[in-house]
Amino acid sequence: MGVIEFKNVNKVFGPRATGFRALEDINLEIRDKEFMAIVGPSGCGKTTCLRMVAGFETATDGVVSVDGTPIKRPGPDRAVVFQQFALFPWKSVYDNIDLGLRNLNVSRADREARIDAILDLMNLKQYAKHFPHQLSGGMQQRVAIARAYVLDPDVLLMDEPFGALDAQTRVVMQEELVRLARKNPRSVLFITHAVEEAVYLADRVAIMTRAPGRIKEVLDIASIRNAENWDSYEKIEDVMDLESFVHLRTHIWRSLREEKAAQHA
Amino acid sequence: MPRRITIGLATILSVCTLWYGLTTLFGIIPAGRFPSPAETWSALIHVSGRGYGGGDLAMHVYNSLRLVVMGFLVAIMTGVPLGLLMGWSRKAEAFINPIFLIIRPIPPLAWIPLAILWLGLGDAAKIMVIWFSAFVPSVINTYTGVRNIERPVLEAAYMLGMPKFRFVTEVMIPGASPMIFTGLRLSLQASWTTLVAAELVGAFYGLGRVLNVAQQDLYPGMILVGMIAVAILGWGTTRVLGMAEAHALRWNTAALAAKG
Repeated sequence: MGVIEFKNVNKVFGPRATGFRALEDINLEIRDKEFMAIVGPSGCGKTTCLRMVAGFETATDGVVSVDGTPIKRPGPDRAVVFQQFALFPWKSVYDNIDLGLRNLNVSRADREARIDAILDLMNLKQYAKHFPHQLSGGMQQRVAIARAYVLDPDVLLMDEPFGALDAQTRVVMQEELVRLARKNPRSVLFITHAVEEAVYLADRVAIMTRAPGRIKEVLDIASIRNAENWDSYEKIEDVMDLESFVHLRTHIWRSLREEKAAQHA
Repeated sequence: MPRRITIGLATILSVCTLWYGLTTLFGIIPAGRFPSPAETWSALIHVSGRGYGGGDLAMHVYNSLRLVVMGFLVAIMTGVPLGLLMGWSRKAEAFINPIFLIIRPIPPLAWIPLAILWLGLGDAAKIMVIWFSAFVPSVINTYTGVRNIERPVLEAAYMLGMPKFRFVTEVMIPGASPMIFTGLRLSLQASWTTLVAAELVGAFYGLGRVLNVAQQDLYPGMILVGMIAVAILGWGTTRVLGMAEAHALRWNTAALAAKG
């Protein structure tokens, strides 16, 4: 299981009365095996939402829970993929992926089998012995995704994972993530500021307001995707041309632009 | 032969030629001020054969090298763990830092009289002085290294549920290792400086003792032999440490190569 729930969550950085109000009254539920993307203007607190689920931050008020248990600290049941990859540069690709499994005391034979499978799936087999710095950004992020996925976590947290990649690599990674997520669904919380990415990947998209961040609107993408059969298209550009996709994208754009305008007013 | 080595050899050769020219050939520098190559050579034969200042060259070298290695090891085996502890725990840092602030301004050499008073002219006093001087760079650099580990890397470790001991051995130490090695290099340098100074003040054997006796005997050739011996040993030990560093930081040299 992996139901993530935000219940009346406020987050203030610094003293409660005078500090920076990052999040206000967040109520959101991510269902089991649902892919939820959060989009919002920069500085709206979307990354803070993810960091609270990861256990790196605590809510000032309210409760963030997974399967009803309030989150106290980070743990391998909630794997994180960071924007800056955050691989261990002194460990080989194989050892980076292996570390979490060792911490979970998985048997050696089992570890080898699982790492082999994920290396295969992510096209990393020939790079197993490489150090992270010998790989391109896209390859490094593949390793980071493999390191998270291999743990078989209930919850997968992705914080602008493709934000540091060039446009072409980004598209390839998005296609691969769709493949991975459909084949092996997890409860995913995906933070991004790229609207197309959110619409393409997610089952639902939550739009946030500028700081203090609130949930403005939650859009159901999955029902439209299934009705229009997006997954039958192999390439992302074919999906992006569909009228249903364009419609959703424009809707989210407008909504975000209102936030931008409000900020400048 | 690589270009760098060729240039290096050429430089050494020119310095030697200049040395020979200024002392022996033209006599511009009088023999009492600076020894000629021939005098230096005969001093070398003297100290390695008959011996000088209480022992032969091998004995002096052995004693100095042994003390440096021992003092250095004591210093880093206490300094690096303390630096790790301070980097890990703000509380430990708060406790230990004030002591540092008091001790750090005291030049390590100022400890020599006290060390000799406490422990005499034997090995223990010298190891203690080396410890004081070589300890500080190990602590400071290790501490800085731990604090410089990038936050996402630490968060990745927390997320993976690292047990404490494994966190120290597989994240903290390798993460800090580039800075730890910087500290070790500075510690080694400090070890040599302090040892020679301590032996100058009082010792039965060692290269500092050779220098001290030669000064009293007005024996410039022997002084130069002592200095060159210290230089070669300092270079050699630094080289050994450099090889250990290159091996331990293979992942980092790969990083540097990738960045061009």
